[in-house]
Amino acid sequence: MSAERVMTCAEVEGLLDAFVDAELPAPALLAVARHAGGCEACDAAVRELSALREAVERSVVAEVETLDLARVWPAVSQGVERHDARVEWRRRLRTVPAWGVALAVAASAVLWLRSPEPEPARLAAAPRRNQAVIERIDSSGHFELRRDRKYGTTLIMVSDQAGQ
Amino acid sequence: MTRDACPAMLGLAAGALVLLAAAHALALEVQITTVRASEHGPSDAQLIDLRPRLRRLVGYRSFQVVGKERRRCAWQTSEAFAIPGGRMLHVVPKGMRDQAVVMSVKLMDGSRALVDTDVRLQNRGVMLFGVGQDSRAAEGALIIMLRAED
Repeated sequence: MSAERVMTCAEVEGLLDAFVDAELPAPALLAVARHAGGCEACDAAVRELSALREAVERSVVAEVETLDLARVWPAVSQGVERHDARVEWRRRLRTVPAWGVALAVAASAVLWLRSPEPEPARLAAAPRRNQAVIERIDSSGHFELRRDRKYGTTLIMVSDQAGQ
Repeated sequence: MTRDACPAMLGLAAGALVLLAAAHALALEVQITTVRASEHGPSDAQLIDLRPRLRRLVGYRSFQVVGKERRRCAWQTSEAFAIPGGRMLHVVPKGMRDQAVVMSVKLMDGSRALVDTDVRLQNRGVMLFGVGQDSRAAEGALIIMLRAED
């Protein structure tokens, strides 16, 4: 659109909102202003729109000023921290090998499956290789029981006093 | 297969079953190793592994094998093992319980029982009988190692 050409009222009416919001390119702004300067109806429309725009602006500012923003920043800060924590965990998880995750899952599954049942047999110490239980013993002389701690080997030592 | 061969085959099978049953009855293998323990002298090479244990339990330094016998024993039947020096070890395997051999063991010196005991020994395990202040050994003690395996 040429800035030299005089706009019609219909053309200006279509550009009024953009003119009031200063969103038009400079030549179009100048053309609308020239037309409004010589047209009372369009000038009145511009002034009316401008007044409305200022009223809306004042209303918005007033509403913003009534808002209590004291608790906004802590909430935002907490949100930011949570987000940072999630990002950090994702970063750590990406560094854990897949087999490690699989192993941990398998171990958890095993523990979960085992937990409901007590297993006293597993808690009992396994018998040692040479473990011997003496259920009865008699001797004509003096005897002594000795046991090796490491292998569980039992020795029944008798004193052959009568044989001397 | 002819009709004449059938009884012979059945007889062979029955014989094999009897032999298998007899072999099963003689299921326990008992090994008796007699060792002379003394304060001085070298130890037997075959006792090298056992020497530290014998040293801890018996207290002597030198160990020499003086007799060894291995025999398959029938359950519930007394087996007598001659021990060097004139003593006898009578073993009666009674059965298996919780992977252990239950048996009666009696160490006799003539008509006198030096030890008469009922033991439950872990299968393939070893237990020891020691005779101290043994006049029949020049010095030291006589150790009888009993190993039982089902």
